[in-house]
Amino acid sequence: MDAPEEPLPPVIYTMENKPIVTCAGDQNLFTSIYPTLSQQLPREPMEWRRSYGRAPKMIHLESNFVQFKEELLPKEGNKALLTFPFLHIYWTECCDTEVYKATVKDDLTKWQNVLKAHSSVDWLIVVVENDAKKKNKTNILPRTSIVDKIRNDFCNKQSDRCVVLSDPLKDSSRTQESWNAFLTKLRTSLLMSFTKNLGRFEDDMRTLREKRTEPGWSFCDYFMVQEELAFVFEMLQQFEDALVQYDELDALFSQYVVNFGAGDGANWLTFFCQPVKSWDGLVLRKPIDMEKRELIQRQEATVLDLRSYLFSRQCTLLLFLQRPWEVAQRALELLHSCVQELKLLEVSVPPGALDCWVFLSCLEVLQRIEGCCDRAQIDSNIAHTVGLWSYATEKLKSLGYLCGLVSEKGPNSEDLNRIVDLLAGLGAERPETANTAQSPYKKLKEALSSVEAFEKHYLDLSHAAIEMHTSIGRTRSARLVGKDLAEFYMRKKSPQKAEIYLQGALKNYLAEGWALPITHTRKQLAECQKHLGQTENYLQTSSLLASDHHVTEEERKHFCQEILSFASRQTDSPGHKIVLPLHCFAQLRDLHFTPSNAVVHVGGVLSVDITMCSQMPVPVHVEQIAINVHFSIEKNNYRKTAEWLTKHKTSNGIINFPTETSPCPASQNNLPALELYEMFERSPSDNSLNTTGIICKNAHMLLRRQESCASLETPSGVALEGGAHVLKCNDVTLEPGANRLMFRTQAKEPGTYTLRQLCVSVGPVRFVLPHLYPLVQYDVYSQEPQLRVEPLADSLLAGIPQKVKFTVTTGHYTVKNGDSLQLSNAEAMLILCHAENRAVIYSNTREKASDVLLRVQSSDKVTSISLPAAPAYHMIEFELEVLSLPSAPVTGGESSMLGMTEPHRKHKDTQKAGHCMATTDHKVSIDCPWSIYSTVIALTFSLPFRTTHSLLSAGTRKYIQVCVQNLSELDFQLSDGNLVDPGSADLQLVPLNAKSPQHTHSKQSVFFVWELKWAREPPPSLHCQFSVGFAPASEGQLSIPLKPYTYEFQVENFFTLYNVRAEILPPSGTEHCRTGSLCSLEVSITRLSGLLEVDKDEALSESDEYFSTKLMYEVVDNSSNWAVCGKSSGVISMPVVAQATHRVHMEVMPLFAGYLPLPDVRLFKYLPHHSAHSSQLDADSWIENDSLSVDKHVDDQLDSSSIKSRGSVHSASSSEHKGLPMPRLQALPPGQVFNSSMGMQVLVIPSKDDHVLEVSVT
Amino acid sequence: MADEALFLLLHNEMVSGVYKSAEQGEVVSAAKALEENGRCITKLENMGFRVGQGLIERFTKDTARFKDELDIMKFICKDFWTTVFKKQIDNLRTNHQGIYVLQDNKFRLLTQMSAGKQYLEHASKYLAFTCGLIRGGLSNLGIKSIVTAEVSSMPACKFQVMIQKL
Amino acid sequence: MAVCVAVIAKENYPLYIRSIPTENELKFHYMVHTSLDVVDEKISAMGKALVDQRELYLGLLYPTEDYKVYGYVTNSKVKFVMVVDSSNTALRDNEIRSMFRKLHNSYTDVMCNPFYNPGDRIQSRAFDSMVTSMMIQVLSRAPCCRAGEALWA
Repeated sequence: MDAPEEPLPPVIYTMENKPIVTCAGDQNLFTSIYPTLSQQLPREPMEWRRSYGRAPKMIHLESNFVQFKEELLPKEGNKALLTFPFLHIYWTECCDTEVYKATVKDDLTKWQNVLKAHSSVDWLIVVVENDAKKKNKTNILPRTSIVDKIRNDFCNKQSDRCVVLSDPLKDSSRTQESWNAFLTKLRTSLLMSFTKNLGRFEDDMRTLREKRTEPGWSFCDYFMVQEELAFVFEMLQQFEDALVQYDELDALFSQYVVNFGAGDGANWLTFFCQPVKSWDGLVLRKPIDMEKRELIQRQEATVLDLRSYLFSRQCTLLLFLQRPWEVAQRALELLHSCVQELKLLEVSVPPGALDCWVFLSCLEVLQRIEGCCDRAQIDSNIAHTVGLWSYATEKLKSLGYLCGLVSEKGPNSEDLNRIVDLLAGLGAERPETANTAQSPYKKLKEALSSVEAFEKHYLDLSHAAIEMHTSIGRTRSARLVGKDLAEFYMRKKSPQKAEIYLQGALKNYLAEGWALPITHTRKQLAECQKHLGQTENYLQTSSLLASDHHVTEEERKHFCQEILSFASRQTDSPGHKIVLPLHCFAQLRDLHFTPSNAVVHVGGVLSVDITMCSQMPVPVHVEQIAINVHFSIEKNNYRKTAEWLTKHKTSNGIINFPTETSPCPASQNNLPALELYEMFERSPSDNSLNTTGIICKNAHMLLRRQESCASLETPSGVALEGGAHVLKCNDVTLEPGANRLMFRTQAKEPGTYTLRQLCVSVGPVRFVLPHLYPLVQYDVYSQEPQLRVEPLADSLLAGIPQKVKFTVTTGHYTVKNGDSLQLSNAEAMLILCHAENRAVIYSNTREKASDVLLRVQSSDKVTSISLPAAPAYHMIEFELEVLSLPSAPVTGGESSMLGMTEPHRKHKDTQKAGHCMATTDHKVSIDCPWSIYSTVIALTFSLPFRTTHSLLSAGTRKYIQVCVQNLSELDFQLSDGNLVDPGSADLQLVPLNAKSPQHTHSKQSVFFVWELKWAREPPPSLHCQFSVGFAPASEGQLSIPLKPYTYEFQVENFFTLYNVRAEILPPSGTEHCRTGSLCSLEVSITRLSGLLEVDKDEALSESDEYFSTKLMYEVVDNSSNWAVCGKSSGVISMPVVAQATHRVHMEVMPLFAGYLPLPDVRLFKYLPHHSAHSSQLDADSWIENDSLSVDKHVDDQLDSSSIKSRGSVHSASSSEHKGLPMPRLQALPPGQVFNSSMGMQVLVIPSKDDHVLEVSVT
Repeated sequence: MADEALFLLLHNEMVSGVYKSAEQGEVVSAAKALEENGRCITKLENMGFRVGQGLIERFTKDTARFKDELDIMKFICKDFWTTVFKKQIDNLRTNHQGIYVLQDNKFRLLTQMSAGKQYLEHASKYLAFTCGLIRGGLSNLGIKSIVTAEVSSMPACKFQVMIQKL
Repeated sequence: MAVCVAVIAKENYPLYIRSIPTENELKFHYMVHTSLDVVDEKISAMGKALVDQRELYLGLLYPTEDYKVYGYVTNSKVKFVMVVDSSNTALRDNEIRSMFRKLHNSYTDVMCNPFYNPGDRIQSRAFDSMVTSMMIQVLSRAPCCRAGEALWA
């Protein structure tokens, strides 16, 4: 092993470097040990504690042992670290004192002095001993002594500087131990030395960096220094630390450049700013690019050189660190920043030079990475590399354009010169890549050599880039590269290749709604399609562009012109049509029908106004605009009538079309709207609500996966549909913006017409809107003629002339002269025909057409109205006066009265003076000219009056009162009321009424009174007939005399039989009654006549000399002023003889002071029980029908209370004889009893002692 | 979020407002009534949707990005619910097939209305808005969904979220 | 400081995009659109990341020779893209971050504006002027976030 012999060459080969350790003393000894040593040393790792709080590291130490020479020791100021000896070892195996004294000691001393002179303190003395030696030695001191000597001779107080290594070449445990001890010692001291020396070095370096603001400071010098450190770290395999050094340098430099940009440039930077002469990209294939390093050392490096060198080192280290992807990423950043820096530093670079440099660099980096990774890794890390690929592609492209390589007629001389210059800048290919086929250098050279070669390389790169982008899902980037490619192809005049890329890109932009890219790409596509002669597509694209607002006005005009000129060119050769979607030419705004409800009768005229927005920048003349209409016959007949349609149509008749959404595919829009409903879940047992909630009816539709909306660029696949029904308008000029178009059509068949497809034709070009949405329909109907008759007022009043409106809807029937309506009169209703009746004729849409005189002739049976001539689908309206003869229905007074009073009763309960008039219907059958059947119409008249009558008596004198109540809204004049009884002649009715006509306002009543007088015995019943003349108060003179209003009724038992008198007398001795003190009530009942017809009933009993009847009297005091003491009622038998009188005496006590009315005395017929109807009668039932019978003529509150009181009485009495047959009570008709003391009053004086009053009250 | 009382009252008014405006058009048949009712529900739900969109934009402004669907649902149940209804969802269940059931045992908008079955027939009106709130929130977080609700005894209620797989 | 600011909908169509100088608007549109590739990548990667790494700011999307493109995505999957001039080396990452925050705040206000219908192009003046404030910064080096804040605060 002679390596130590040669002096160390100053050259640096980093990887081979190891820290230097010098060996002095016994060389042979060392040589013998060296092999073991060199292999033992790195075996065990050692922890290296670092200064500046850096994390400690384990390192495997190796070192380069060299023979000690004085010149190895660094001179003052030498910063070299690589050549720095970190440790000095002296080897000896001397074991006897003489030898030591004689030679070894001096040698050691000399060695030590040299070290001291260079103030290097990292040394070690190794004493090797082996037993072999001491065999032959006789005079042996204890061996330790040598070591001891050395120790105290040289290593004072650091005795560990001297190490013993015993029998190194033996194989014994002892040997092992000593070895280990020695190695550990060696390692520690080495590390200590590192820490110390590196520490010092770093300090120096730092101070140097601090100086960087000083004028003389040179970046390159500093660079060298810090790189030295980096080298050492690298040498120690501390790549991280090494990398840090370079990154620091990198950052420092960048900072300078930035500052330079900001204005303060360090003068040393100017070295770097010299114009770029060579642009042979990065060199990454060898650990250190020496020539670049020297350039830097000599301060002749350009920015590119520096950057390249720096990066090459970083790259190397990163690769050591297994971080190839970081290399790629850093590379891209580097290249970008270099370009920026050159700009910033205003370094002059020949055009294209940078492109070359970048291109080469990209490929170099990529190849370097590929060099150290396997395919799989690369494929899985495309994301990192693809950037470089596309950057390279980009650069190659720009080179191509620069050097005229992208054109069908190759580069011109000027281009060629440029190419030559660029190639010159590459210099000669470097040896290390010389024999790799695909080296970046070769690629570039070749690419620039010829148009074909360039194309090949460019396409390769582009495709590679596209492929990579797509493979990692960067479709957009891929598209962009694709577009470049397309441009390239266009330049090369091969549009067919370009098209797919443009289409692809366009599709993508449309899908994502990017307006500007869309426009731009479309322009390119248009050009491409033009070259390809795809007329249809070209025209479509043009139309799209012409309507595109991102395009300049001129361009729009141009594209529009393209379409027009094509159209004009093609006109001569008809037949072949070109169908394009409408939306890119014009848009529908709104549509408006007249008539607005879009309903016309057969033969009617319908017009459709359409507002169409032309998207074209210039006025466009259009041959025809046609709307295809789909016709469907309506099943439902009724639907065809005008009323229905008018009811069910949007009356304003304006349909707005949604504006075409600008390319913005907001996904939520094309989703159907949710349809939510409330959900009620009831329990099956009882129908009670279990759960409620919200459910979605159309969930299935919403949850369905959304199929990506198909080709947004609708290919002109719209089929022209031909149809029988077409709305046309010809030769229109569409101005830019809104245009109003008018379509007119005459309705033929009835049914529903749906506007389907709109087609604008410009020459052979058809712009088609395949479906009008929203649905646009109009309806055509045919209608049967009909007659309607209705009162003008809400109700017709009987008895006075009333206006009735006749409406004839002609429908499809045309009314000719002589057509007439034949009305067959109803007997109780007559039609009053005046001199002038006018009829008005309206059109279907209620416009007044004409106003004509109407002739009405009426015979007793028939009235004929001759209609004026009117066209179809018109309306004839006229009014006639009719009169219904008023009469209280002639069915017997009693019932009729009930019939009329019954409702009145009801209203009374709910205090509403509601008028519910009795009504009479009149049917009229009319024969119309258009049908053989006669239509029957019913008119309902209501009687304006309600009449009631009542009987009034004064003693035996009798009066009849008739009340006429006016229920109508009108006021009336009532005149000469008259009452007659045709039946009984000897009876006379004396009117007590005013002669003058009475005025009754609406809802008012008028009363008429007659006195009854008679000579002989009056009949049990009267049959009266009331009649009164009437006329509406409002109109003065009526056209015809009106029949008077009549009312018939009967009066029975009006003749007075009994007179009842009551009288209250104060207690004897007092002239006035006092409250609380008893008074006597005298009641006298007097029979006024002898036996009459009316008395003939079961109450009548015959005694020997006269007839008598049973009566029941009852004293009731509803006002409870009186307390009746003792029995208040009783049954008496009354002789049926004139002036027969029956007196009753009873006690009553006034409860209040003042004028009190007398208590009421009532009389009833007391009918004894008859077996006939005893059985079914019981307590309640008799009260019931008794009350009924009482009801008859007595007015309400009175009798109700009487029932009460009587009820109480009888229930009391009836309680004992339960189940026994009951006698019956029958009220005497009011006419038969006259209470002469009715309305009398008695004065009652308050008594002194009130507490009695108290008592009586409670 | 506004003071909760305010929110509650406002919400009630909104519901009645929507239903009043619906009554203007007189309802003829029962079927029509149901449909009309549905329209109101939908209207309320749509209101909720828009509000949800806005709210979620605010609420998620400072949160970390969501990991996945479940992460989002959790956010709705916790943070979102707490901010709007002052409490968390009591129970979240899912079939991992895109259906989630959020159960709130004491739903803010029902508590003051009834405890039990009284007014049950009206309950759903008061859930529509919240359904929308959820749907809006989710949709703004990029999840298309349908949200339905269910009450059997107030104030507890369930919201079911059906997520539209894209 | 930005030369182009874009807001992009979930569905990847631009809700708002503005750039200075306006003449090469088209270029920026292409650039922003392409950057969506990286945004998508980052978002999908984001799913796997740990919670603390899942921030809305996506950092540098990709550098080009002359521009740096930064990205940010809201939880509602709305993307903000900002293009910065590479020569503008002074710009630090956290400045960009804060600019994005401002954008986000402003966007949130837009979302809560009754006159804005989610999914429509953004027309809000407030938003516009906020963006402007970010763009003019390049001309005046001064920290003119103030202007921006004034607008949306």
